[in-house]
Parts: sequence; C-alpha cells; structure tokens
Amino acid sequence: MKEHWSDRLQRFDRRWIFLVMGLAVVVPLFFPLGLPAKPDRMTKAAFNAVDALPEGARVFVSIDLDPASTPEIEPFFRAVILQLKRKNAKLVFATTWYQAPPLVDRYMRETIEVAIAPAGTAGYSGLNDRPYRKNVDYVNLGFRDGKGAIIQAFGSSLRLAFDNHADDGTALERIPMMRGLEKLADFDLIVLVSAGSPGAKEYVQFVGTRERLPMIAACTAVSTTDLAPYFQTGQLIGLVGGMAGSAGYETLVGKPGAGTAGADVLNIGNIVVILAIVFGNVVYFAGRYHRRQRGAS
Amino acid sequence: MKKTLPLLFGMVFGAYAVIEFYIPHHLVGSLSDELRSWAAILAAAAFIIGGINILQVTWPKIRRREPDWQYKVVLLAAAAVMLLAGLPWHKLGDTPATPTVLIEAVPGPAHLVVNAPADVTIQVGAVIAPPRPDGARYQADVGPGTVEVKLSRRVPGYRTQLAPITITDGQRVTVTGDPPMLWGREGRVFVWIYDHIFSPSNATMFALLAFFVASAAFRAFRARNLEAALLLGAAILMMLGRAPLGRAISDVFPDLAQWILDVPSNGGRRAIMMGAAIGAIATALRIILGIERSHLGSDA
Amino acid sequence: MTELPFVDVVGFWVATFLTFCCLSFLYKDNPFYKLAEHLFIGVSVGYLIILQWGDNLQPKLVDALFVRGYRALAEGGSLDRWWVMRGIALVLVVMLFVNALSRRYKWVGRYPVAFVVAFYAGLQINAVAQSELGEQIKFSASTIDAPKVDLNSAPLDQLTSLPGGSPSIAEKLIVERARAPFTSVDDAVTRPSLTAPERADLAETRGHLVGLDARAAVGPGEHDRFGIVSNLLLLLGLLSSLVYFYFSVAHQGVIGKVSRFGVWTLMIGFGASFGLTVQGRISLAIGRAYDVSGRTVGPTDAARIHSLPVAVVCLLLVVGGIVVWELRNRRRSGKDSA
Repeated sequence: MKEHWSDRLQRFDRRWIFLVMGLAVVVPLFFPLGLPAKPDRMTKAAFNAVDALPEGARVFVSIDLDPASTPEIEPFFRAVILQLKRKNAKLVFATTWYQAPPLVDRYMRETIEVAIAPAGTAGYSGLNDRPYRKNVDYVNLGFRDGKGAIIQAFGSSLRLAFDNHADDGTALERIPMMRGLEKLADFDLIVLVSAGSPGAKEYVQFVGTRERLPMIAACTAVSTTDLAPYFQTGQLIGLVGGMAGSAGYETLVGKPGAGTAGADVLNIGNIVVILAIVFGNVVYFAGRYHRRQRGAS
Repeated sequence: MKKTLPLLFGMVFGAYAVIEFYIPHHLVGSLSDELRSWAAILAAAAFIIGGINILQVTWPKIRRREPDWQYKVVLLAAAAVMLLAGLPWHKLGDTPATPTVLIEAVPGPAHLVVNAPADVTIQVGAVIAPPRPDGARYQADVGPGTVEVKLSRRVPGYRTQLAPITITDGQRVTVTGDPPMLWGREGRVFVWIYDHIFSPSNATMFALLAFFVASAAFRAFRARNLEAALLLGAAILMMLGRAPLGRAISDVFPDLAQWILDVPSNGGRRAIMMGAAIGAIATALRIILGIERSHLGSDA
Repeated sequence: MTELPFVDVVGFWVATFLTFCCLSFLYKDNPFYKLAEHLFIGVSVGYLIILQWGDNLQPKLVDALFVRGYRALAEGGSLDRWWVMRGIALVLVVMLFVNALSRRYKWVGRYPVAFVVAFYAGLQINAVAQSELGEQIKFSASTIDAPKVDLNSAPLDQLTSLPGGSPSIAEKLIVERARAPFTSVDDAVTRPSLTAPERADLAETRGHLVGLDARAAVGPGEHDRFGIVSNLLLLLGLLSSLVYFYFSVAHQGVIGKVSRFGVWTLMIGFGASFGLTVQGRISLAIGRAYDVSGRTVGPTDAARIHSLPVAVVCLLLVVGGIVVWELRNRRRSGKDSA
C-alpha cells in the first residue's frame, strides 16, 4: 500500500529542521525587521526602581552569568549600568559563578571605566555618563563560591565573605566608598544579573526575604516563570526576563543595543518554532485521521 | 564508628544551621559566618577535586589506548596549558608598576614626552592620546602642576603603569614605559584562552539547544489531548507575546502573555514552589536527623 | 583606540573555527566536534582549578591561616579561636582530598561531606520556609479584591506602579492634583506638566481590561473587576494545583474535578515556561551568530578580523573535513563487509 504523506513526514530527517533554524537565525542579521522592542510590566518596574534611586545611591550588583547566557542578559547589564552611572551611583560588584570573573573584568574595562554614552553619542539623547574610577566610584569585590551559604554570608558581612579585600587586593578599610557598606542591607538597591543557580532565587531565599532587601533581577528567559511569583509577592521589585526583557530595558534607558537587535532576530526564530509546532500537529492529525479511515474501511 | 561519628558530626552542624536563625546573639552570628566560610572553602575544594578526578579518569584511557584516546591527550594538554598559564610566573621577575621618569631643565613651557610602543594607550590626566600607529613618541605642552600619566594596553593581561608627575615651566619630563605582561588568573595567556576557546565553546554547546528545540517542536509536541493543547496554546501565545512581532500584529498578544504569566503560570508555579518547599524541608530534616544517609556512601 | 593585536585577531578566528566544530554535532558526532569538546573540557578543568584556588582557597585558607597567623605571631600576639576554627576547615579539606586520592582511607571523607550536606540542609530549611512557604502563603491569603488606584490620593509608589507610570510621572501627578484634583483619567494624563513622551507612554497603556483605565480611578471605592476575576482565578489555580499534588486521597468525584482544573492550570504554566524556554534557546544561537559575524566588536576591529570571510572558510573546512571523514568511513565499512 502506498505510504501516506503524513507517515513520510513523520520520518522527516531532523537535520533539515536544523538547517531551517540556522537560516532563521542568520538571515535576519542581514535583513532585520526593525520592529521596536517595548518593555513589559515587570521590566518597567525594574526600570522604575532604578529611576527612583537618589543621586549617589549605593548599589550592589551581583553578576552571575557565563558566556552562554550573555546574549540574553548582558544587554540588560549594559543598559542598567548606564542608568546607574547617570545617577552617579556608587557600585559594588561581586559574582558567585566561577565562569564569570573574566567577563566581569571585561565589563569593568568596557562599561565602568569608560563612558558608555559620552557627549555626542549618536542616536542617544539621554543624560551622559562618565568613566568611573576603581575603588573611588566602584569596587569589584571578586568571586566567591558557596552557593546559598556565601550569599547568606553577603547578607551578614561582606568583609568576612570577601576576606577584607577587593578583587585587586586593596583592603576594604582603605576604600572610602566602602564605609558603611558592611552587608547587603546597607545598599539602596541590589541588582541581580542572574543566569541560573546560584542567582536570583538563592538571593531571594537566603537573604532577600529575611532582610526585606529591595532587589531587581535580570534572568534568562528559561528562569522567568520561576522568578515571576517572587515579583508578584514583592520579593523582587523588578524582573527582566530574557533577551526580550533586556531589549525592553534598553528602550527605556534610551540606548538600543545588542538586546534590541537580538530581539529582532528572535521574531523569525519564534515563527519557525510556532510553524514547526503547527505543522507537526497537522501531520500528526492527518496521519491519525488516515489511520482511522483505513481501520474503518 | 566510621559511620556513626560522621553522621553525628553532620547532625550537630545541621541542627546549628537551623537554630542560629532564631538566636540574635553576636557570637552566634560570628560562628555562623565562620561556618559559612567552611562551606565556601569546601565547595571550592570539591571543584578542585572534581577537576583532578577528570584527569585521574582520563590518564588510564590514554595509557590503555582506548577508543578516542587521542582526544584525551588533547584534554590533558589543554588542562596543563591552562594550569601553567594560570600560575603567576611574572612574580618571579620584575613587572614595574611605574614607568621611568626623566626630568630635564629646558627653557619654555612645561613639556611632556611619553615613549611607549605603538600598541600602548597613553592617557595624560583625563586626555587620551590619539593612536600612534608608527610608534612615534607622544609630545605635548602641558600646564604646570601635577598630572598622572597612565600607560595601558587595550587588551587584558598587562599591568597598567601609572606615573604621577609634578611639572613646572622650564622642564621637560620624559616618561618611558611598556606595560609588562602578566600571568595568572588575570594574565594575557589565561584570559586569551578563556576569551577565544572556553567562551565560544561554552556558548556554542548551549546554542545547540536552539536547533534541538526546533526539531522537538516538529517531531514531539503533539496536542493529543486537552491538556497538551492548553500547553501548546500557552506556549505559542507566550512566544508571540514576548517578541516584538506579537505586538506588531496586535496589542492583545503582549497583554495576554503577561496575563498568562501573572495568573495561571504563577498559580501553578506557586503550588509547585510550596510543594517543593515542603519536600525540601522534609528531606533536610531527614538529613539532619540522620535518617537519610545515602550521601555518606553505600555502607553508611 | 589602538589596533587589535594580531594574536587576538587569530583568537577570533580560532573561536569561529571552534564554533563550527561544535555546531557540526548537528550533523552527527564527528572528529571536529570531539576535538572541540575535549579541548573545552581540558581548558575548563585548568580554568576551574586556578580560579577556585586563587579566589577561594588562597584567601580563605592560605592567607587566613598562614599569612595572617604568621603575622599575628611575629607581632607577639597569639592565635585566636577563629584561627583555630579555620584550622579545622583545613583539616576537613585535607580529609576531602584523602577521600578522593586514597581507597583505603576513603571513609575519612565522610566528615566534610556530612558537614556540607547537613549544613546546607539546615540553611535550606529556614530559607525555603520563609521565602517559598511563608511569603507565598501570605500573598495567597491576602484579599482577592483589586481596588483601583485613586489618582487624587495615592502615594508615589502606587502611582509609579500604574501602567505607563514612572517616578517622574508620579511626582508630576502629585503636584498637578494639589493644583487641581483630577476629574477623570483623561484629565490626569493630559495635564500640561507632563512631557509629550510621558503623555505618549500613558496613552499607549490605556485600556479598560488590563490597561491604565482598569487600574486607575479619580475617586476612592472603585474596583478593577477583571483584576478581581484574575485574583480569583489565581487563587483557584493555586488551590486546585495543590489538590492535584495531594495524593493521599483518590482523585475522584469533586476532588477529581478540582484536580483536573489544577492540571489545566499547571499545563498553561508549563506552556508559558516552554514558550520562554524556546526564546531562551534561540537567544543563545543568536548570540553565537552575532559573535561569528563580528557584530560584537567595533567596526575597526571587525574590519581587521574579516569575520564573514573567515566564517565561510571555517565552515568550508569543517564541512570538507566531515565529507572526507564520511568517505573514509564508507570505504572502511565497504572493506570490512567485503
């Protein structure tokens, strides 16, 4: 008996699907749709939380990511740093991911120690920022491992957790901006750039809820549904989910970047997957109908 | 004894970790901080042991010439190179943090000369000198006073050299420097390998998932019943709502996606969270009370 | 900016080559993929050991015990109790290494393992009880009512949280309402002190179901009906999902129907999770595409790297290599069968 088209398609070599997906990612790089990225409610709340900070606010930024997650949350990081530098916020950085330290060092060089949006930046009309000076305007505390335990230690004593020195070896008592910053509760805001575990969830569980800390988090799209309940209860006061969230945040800050460009490419990838789901189900139901007809006859 | 004492050891610290939450005394806080340091130390040591274990497992495969043993050689060689690059070899020699400064009396305004290789960025105060592709020296008349000369390379792995100089009219100050290369965790070779081998490989391994998810979407996600149809419907609405294309089609999609996240997703997720929390507490109590012993080995 | 050193240009080429080696796994497991995989694992092992030693063990063990201890003794002081405590940590680390390196004394490693597992378990109890149970129950037990925010009396944070709101808009609304109370939402969003972009932001979020009009009013006592329905559905979804997870009672009759509603809620939630997962995975591929096409570096560096020609060359190398490998395999299997 001749094979039904649905049975042939069920055995479709998946490598053709890989090829279509590859084209869906590459082609929009050269032919972008140029659709604007609008922020969702949770992203707006995160932006507003930073916007409400006073001039010179003290902010703790935990950069917990790896190279794989940078496309999703690095755009948020760059946008929020611009927003914080516009407010002359004092920044303290740390990380609990072993993959992160060289990335953190790069971010210090590329976004903290230089002006992200100096005067005359094309396509940008917001306030300008300035280069930050190490151990004067910002401190990089470095990396410490220990999952929930070390995060709880941040909430108890940053000095003990980081053995009384910054990542470059400078004693914390010799850094004037660290005066009065003993633990996480001493900061005006905590920004969590979180790719997984340990990350925003552990901050909420081990220290945020207990100390009622004002925290915003950027996470990968995968983690958004896990962290959304915390936003609803107020344990997080802002949540930026995935590349789409980062693109929305860039729009709010006024400097579109890799997130906005990436979200544009995301459109086509989404369409491919949606069509794959729909077409896969059409094939399945056609096959089922055909088998029922054959069984009836 | 080999089983009971470790169990008791764990029980004491586990019980302490629960109780310390309720005791606000400063000594308890200090002890808790110390124990958290132990946890961090042991976590780091466990990672190192894991790394050593990989090497222990790999070496016999090379010796016995098992299939693909050549790749194991690559693995060991790469580990060795990274370990060697991560050691601070520069501490054996001299890595000057300041360039040499020569002050000469020369009539005229205060004049600054900076000698550095072409790939070194020269910053005088807040002013960054333009690139000098031919490696020519940088020269400029500066105002009298104190100014900091900073020599750095744009790529990581070099020590930045700083020279605060006080200069007056009638002086020519010549600053000569070359930021030395560093080794170790922030060194040139270590960071190069991280940026150009570790980072792209790590990212691409995860990027493979994009292709597999597309394949799974076609081959496996079937709306066989109402529940599966609800799942797929919600997934499609979420994909449309969170990407700019959805908003371009209709404003309904983003609002619907947010509503799905706020109501059914959060409702179900909260139930899972609560259930998981109860399970986690139950398991933790079993561990602390010594009922659960599997983590101590097969004959515990 | 100075020119990118040639060794870093070569680094980008190596990264591009390794990217295509890893992607070749989509065809099938092959020598290029294996090479990239083993190189990655080897580099990761070395990286991990250096990092954990330098950033954790050195400051917390070596410096704390030997450097500071030596300094304390050299200054004529003594070693305090916290030094002794840290010494115990060193003993535990040694025990962990003995566990890994010795078969005969493996049992020694039970002490540090018991400490870590039990200590983390203890920390976990309080952490999850408070954040996953306490806060979630507190939120769920709160009223399902959804009162509208009274634009004429609400505090700053409530006005900020409205759709289209921001701290600056909220401050202006507070000033405006003191000047003249709002008579309607339309009146509030068109006040003169609001800038054109602010008015545009607010106009974009107008809507009677989930927008500004649903959440805001100009007097007390108004309620967001859709919000009440949503809160009710949220509570019902939570309770029915909890019923689904209660396995001590058979899921029949009323319990069965409630449990079914719980399953539907969970399925919608999993669908949302899956949709976001798809986006997340695609984002990872987009990131690689950006790196390989040279869009993550400045234009001068991109010109020096020649990203696109290099990408094509690397792709051809990998594809060509796999073709050669496949032909050799077929020849070998042809010989074997003969």
